[in-house]
Amino acid sequence: MKTSSELRLAPGTVITGKWNRGRYRVERLLGEGANGKVYLVEHSRRLYAMKVGGDAVDLQSEINVLRSLASRRRRTEPFLLAVDDYVHRDGKEYPFYIMRYVRGSVLHEYLQREGADWFPLVGYNLLGKLAELHEAGFVFGDLKRENVLVGSYGRVELVDYGGATAIGKSVRQFTELYDRGYWNAGSRTAEGTYDLFSFAVLCLHLFEGRRLLQLTKTLLPQNRSPADLIRLTTGHPALKPFAGWLARALRGEFASAREGAAAWQRIMYGGGVKPARRRRSTAGWAAGLFACTMIALAAAIVWMISEGMLPTGLS
Amino acid sequence: MRQLLLITDGCSNVGMSPVVAAAHAKAEGITVNVIGVVERGESISSAEVEIEEIARAGGGMSRLVNTHQLSQTVQMMTRKTVVTTIQQAVNKELRQVFGAESVEALPPDRRGEVVRVIDELGESSPLKVALLIDTSASMRPKLAAVEEAIRDLVLSLQSRSGRSEIAVFHFPDSENGEGCVCDLDWTDNIAGVKRILPRLAMRGTTPTGPAMMQVIDFFRQGDYGRTIRGEMDGMTGEDVV
Repeated sequence: MKTSSELRLAPGTVITGKWNRGRYRVERLLGEGANGKVYLVEHSRRLYAMKVGGDAVDLQSEINVLRSLASRRRRTEPFLLAVDDYVHRDGKEYPFYIMRYVRGSVLHEYLQREGADWFPLVGYNLLGKLAELHEAGFVFGDLKRENVLVGSYGRVELVDYGGATAIGKSVRQFTELYDRGYWNAGSRTAEGTYDLFSFAVLCLHLFEGRRLLQLTKTLLPQNRSPADLIRLTTGHPALKPFAGWLARALRGEFASAREGAAAWQRIMYGGGVKPARRRRSTAGWAAGLFACTMIALAAAIVWMISEGMLPTGLS
Repeated sequence: MRQLLLITDGCSNVGMSPVVAAAHAKAEGITVNVIGVVERGESISSAEVEIEEIARAGGGMSRLVNTHQLSQTVQMMTRKTVVTTIQQAVNKELRQVFGAESVEALPPDRRGEVVRVIDELGESSPLKVALLIDTSASMRPKLAAVEEAIRDLVLSLQSRSGRSEIAVFHFPDSENGEGCVCDLDWTDNIAGVKRILPRLAMRGTTPTGPAMMQVIDFFRQGDYGRTIRGEMDGMTGEDVV
């Protein structure tokens, strides 16, 4: 159920903050989160992301989370840059905040474009992000494909903190498919294991999307169980090395995301991941090409020596 | 905090107007939310107006949803109403303390602390949600989804830190056709309950208004009954069961 406003900002619209008078020019709509819409905006010749909400309290809860995260990592570039209200022509006020613009693609599009070879690393980086968040005292809550942005070389950013919840409280926002309560696998209390469960479903969604969605249609609500999800972990070659890991996450067995990340890393470098067949053939082809080149080079050198064309130091 | 959630798919046709009943609820401090359940291709445009009006009179929200959106909607609506209720109480305080009309009227840098209080109270305040389910014939194929939504709501409420209870009622009463029947008294755990709602086709009447009045009365009994019984035993407080 969306409670966000119906406000639509056309490209070119200039927003002026009611309190701080900052001016932001709307470039385009980037996406829609639980508590509002996110636009790409230009301010002082730089690009930022602007989230405009319909409800000041909902948006402020999100800002509170971002603030307390910011106070914990001072050295990194600030994520939250300004908070203000926008007064629309019709007199209605919309709260907004300005954050760093993260260039990247949503997770599934990134993997489709760049290839599944990136999956182990991207997964590892995402686990690192979750661990960082948990160590700051929060659970992300609404982890799903759309909320994970991947930038160059598999760098990961979480976007839309609308579901972020202080540990021990009830998860503020979630998506049924990724919710462990929906799968009869545990409570909706914000714990590290809650996010890890969603992470595991996310992995299944990436490679076994059709079978996963099929489960939601065929199983009766009372019959849904983590066992059904665990059965999906061994089918796809990209998931197979991580099948054991995914099963542990789905059963809530990792004590923390940090521990989960460490276990993931061991699989990544422990020889569990075999390069995809396609890549191996590419490698063979490349090696062949390299050999040909070397033969051609050797032939050229022999010819040059016989013709006396090499500099004196070499001959 | 007290909420009445009405789940229906048609217009009331017997007895008192449900809009009047909703206004009664609001006067008693009970927020009324309404969900209209529609199946694909089904139109209940006539009921839509009534659903909206009931919610408006009851100070709550209304939504039309498909059966597969029901769980999520029940959960979100309950949560949202908790926040709104707290917010209204906090706004009253703000007027006295800051002279500001609402959270929105505060400058952004002063909202943070107030919202933190709202979030905290929203988690920890005691909550009672009475679900009133229309089980007239057209609702019959939707009752499995309703029951799932109720179980899902209990799961969400269990993760709140404050005491959270639900009670479930259905209408019409098959005995006399007027009013409602209590299926589940105030509880915070329904793990042992196999079936919450009856699966029999009910008679065609939809006495939404009278059923709501009975639920309001149930809330009142819960309050007064406990206090009076407590006083008679020489005890006070609400904890006496």
